[in-house]
Amino acid sequence: MPSPVLKALVRARDPRPDSDILLFVRNFLAVFALVAGVFFSSPGLRPQGPAPAQQAASQNQAPPTQTAPAQPPAQSPTAPTQVPPPQAKAPQATNPQIVPAPPPQPAGPVIVLDPAHGGTDPGARGANGILEKDIVLRIARVVRVELARQGYRVVMTRDGDSNPSYDARAAQVNTYHDAIFISLHVSSTGRVGTARAYYYQFPNPIAGDGESASGRPGTGPGGLLVWEEAQRSYAPVSHRLADLIQGELAQGFVNSPVSSTGVPVRELRSVAAPAVAIEISSVAVSNPNTLVDSAGPISNAVLQALVAFRTVNQSGTK
Amino acid sequence: MSRNLKIILATLGVLVVIGLISVGGLWRRVQHLEETPKTDEEARQEVLTPPISTASDVNTNAKIFWASGPDSVAPVNVSIPLSADPVERSKQLIQELIEKPPAPGQRTLPADAVLTDFYVLPGGTAVADFSDALSAELPSGILSESMAVNSIVDTIASNVTGLQRLKILIHGQEVDTLAGHVDLTGFFDLIAPGTTAPSPTETAPAQGGAKVPPAGAR
Repeated sequence: MPSPVLKALVRARDPRPDSDILLFVRNFLAVFALVAGVFFSSPGLRPQGPAPAQQAASQNQAPPTQTAPAQPPAQSPTAPTQVPPPQAKAPQATNPQIVPAPPPQPAGPVIVLDPAHGGTDPGARGANGILEKDIVLRIARVVRVELARQGYRVVMTRDGDSNPSYDARAAQVNTYHDAIFISLHVSSTGRVGTARAYYYQFPNPIAGDGESASGRPGTGPGGLLVWEEAQRSYAPVSHRLADLIQGELAQGFVNSPVSSTGVPVRELRSVAAPAVAIEISSVAVSNPNTLVDSAGPISNAVLQALVAFRTVNQSGTK
Repeated sequence: MSRNLKIILATLGVLVVIGLISVGGLWRRVQHLEETPKTDEEARQEVLTPPISTASDVNTNAKIFWASGPDSVAPVNVSIPLSADPVERSKQLIQELIEKPPAPGQRTLPADAVLTDFYVLPGGTAVADFSDALSAELPSGILSESMAVNSIVDTIASNVTGLQRLKILIHGQEVDTLAGHVDLTGFFDLIAPGTTAPSPTETAPAQGGAKVPPAGAR
């Protein structure tokens, strides 16, 4: 014979409340859930959900260890990033009926935005004094806010007029075990108003030029990773991501190509994560705001591409 | 009129005629200089890169890759004397690429750039050594730099056989990037446009035994 508590629980699932006992049981369960929620919501068990826009923006220079505890074990660089389902990182410790729902959007990859150049390296220069390093920083700040608004954790390789080295920029990405690197550029040439996405194109390996234990390109003697070519293992997924971004860019930037281009862009080479460079044309415009205004279409393209990219990866078709 | 006066007048007349002739010639030379100003680099280029001719030169229809628009390169068929020797042939092609674009808008490499050396290593690796002007005067950007590299690579790949890959040096040294973007620490495959080549990233793991080109070369 079912116990009274079990009977009460069964009746509690009945959408038609018909007695004081049912109300008492429901209130008891609610209080119990609240207490349990407070008890279990310690920092170590707190969901790793993305921060709101302002909080994410303040994480620009977040120490790498910030996300490390919740991350899966370090992936082999030869295995491209797996984007785990959000539920795996976000245990539900509270009753959603009692505690206000957390911000939407689950934890996803950390998006590392890289405004190229900076400091003494101005990048492309326009005849009207437009400098690539200034434009890409302004664009990156807008993109950061837009991505954070959608729940992504965003990190920038620089948020001022500094010029981190290529390796320092790559190191910021490689600290995370689930990240996507997007480098932003403005060209000197090209049809004004167009945009292009690039992935790192490696040359064919030189046959017979030594043997690695693993027999894999990108590895040296003993199968150790040649760190200067950390991107090699991620080249296929970077290519896929670049194609997705380019497809979206082609809709926001008229006359842009529909597929991405493989070019050995130096900033991407040492990145052990999916990495794409986006370049818009060009510093030849007279008004720099024309270029900064492209931050909106870029944000939209990146967001749409990220959704498609994660969907494809999660469906196991990579 | 005295005899001396006649002599003086005749002398003056001759001097005036000579002067007019000289001024006319001088004026034409000044006009010519104004029409074709030369930078120091161009003047030096005339000395450093005289026309290359070898005993095996044969007039050949070559495909030179110049800019075909703001964002791409395409072949232009030109008839030029080319050597049978791959090194000399490559020098002739790059010199043509730098010096004779059909129109200013089709230029992919700076006019001041000079190919200071070109040689081939065992295994088919070609090394092209350019003057500083190639990187210093090339517009910075992924697009412009990739067009510059593509014009060199495609031109050599389409007209020279037996070469596998190209290494680009600046002033005899390996540099990180061409003008801030395109990586010059590695090699570029010399695969003629339109021909199929295995994708290095997709098929390389199955090949086995291949080692990373840049690391192995440095």
